[in-house]
Amino acid sequence: MLHAVGALESGACKYVLISYGHSARSGDSMLRMLSDMTGDEAIYGHFGAAGGYALAARRAMHEFNTGPDSWKHIAVGQRAWANLNPQAMMYDSRLTDEGYMTAKWLIEPFRLFDNCLISDGGRACIITSVERARDLKHPLVTIMGLGQHNPSGDLQKADYLAGPTGARIAGEAAFSMAGIARDDIDACQIYDCFTYTVEITLQDYGYFEPSGGKDWFMGGTIEPGGRMPVNTSGGLLSEAYHMGLTPLTEGVMQLMGRCGPRQLGPETNTKTPEIMLCSDNGGILQTHACYILRRI
Amino acid sequence: MEYAKPLPQVNADTRPFWQGCRQHLLKIQKCKNCGLLRCPPAFICPECLSSEVEWVAAKGKGRVYSFAVYHAAYQPGFQDELPYVVALVDLDEGARMITNIVGCDPGEVYCEMAVEIVWDDVNETFSIPKFRPLQK
Ligand SMILES: [Zn+2]
Repeated sequence: MLHAVGALESGACKYVLISYGHSARSGDSMLRMLSDMTGDEAIYGHFGAAGGYALAARRAMHEFNTGPDSWKHIAVGQRAWANLNPQAMMYDSRLTDEGYMTAKWLIEPFRLFDNCLISDGGRACIITSVERARDLKHPLVTIMGLGQHNPSGDLQKADYLAGPTGARIAGEAAFSMAGIARDDIDACQIYDCFTYTVEITLQDYGYFEPSGGKDWFMGGTIEPGGRMPVNTSGGLLSEAYHMGLTPLTEGVMQLMGRCGPRQLGPETNTKTPEIMLCSDNGGILQTHACYILRRI
Repeated sequence: MEYAKPLPQVNADTRPFWQGCRQHLLKIQKCKNCGLLRCPPAFICPECLSSEVEWVAAKGKGRVYSFAVYHAAYQPGFQDELPYVVALVDLDEGARMITNIVGCDPGEVYCEMAVEIVWDDVNETFSIPKFRPLQK
């Protein structure tokens, strides 16, 4: 996104397409990509992203007493959104607290529904100048703020697994550029490779103190009808895994009012959104990007 | 019986580490410029970018920084060990390494648990450093 804005601002081009497409479910390329990430950790049976995030989540349980009682609200809340989204892989599949808690362990402390999906499909979005976008058929959605922070390349050196992750500094940069405060955000689309990723990202953005997540999520905060909707397509956990484009495109579509039964506003008993926060991260919490978008 | 799990992919950076392991010595890189202990081995220091390095032997005692319990085998060689524990261990000397915790039930492992090294001689070439609860 930063590159896209740079290319547009410098006049190098007029439109930038950000796209992602993958036959990750029907082919084996996702598994090959994840096993390529694995080096000598494989000696110890440590594989892919789930193992690394499980280490991060376990450290967080130790440092600020989070755990499945917090994460169930994320898995169940996002599933409620997916149940309103006919495109979501989990559209027809309900999830209750009990269903979450009784699912099998994969890499403890993660149960099945703490993990994102593996999907076939793709996403794309086009970025252009505000002047050009004014002439297009959809409502205008602008970028208010951007921030990036990439704390480390090496899991063994990582002291941020239980936060603050890159979200802290990236979020501060994005809010500062946007000139707004956290309370101005109407809804969030958070990169959710695992449930814990949603908790630590919102925590680092300052929505709650460490260990405050469980109370913050309780009572349907992020669900349809909740006071801070999060991942309104179902997200990577319950809609489809298209990397950072799942949260980004959902943020844009919600602001444009193109989301049908899951549209934020009167249909879902939520506030009609004007300002949306989206996030993306990579590696094992090693890179982070924060975007604040606004409908004009 | 043939060893069914992945073996170290030795390269110029990691060869001294695995040679040490074969002699049951846990050798860690120490930056000669800034003193940083680093794991895994690398040809420059991530803090000061110096390529001057020495190898120091760690005592093999430390604490669990974090751990994950695998209930699924993502490689067939681990099937018989389920559930097994992968951990990040902070050595007393200061470096953090990825390893397995063995010699106890996975349910007994916790963050900050004191552990000590135990060597797994997996074939005639490699010994793999693992950790178990510190014996009294
Ligand atoms: Zn150094």
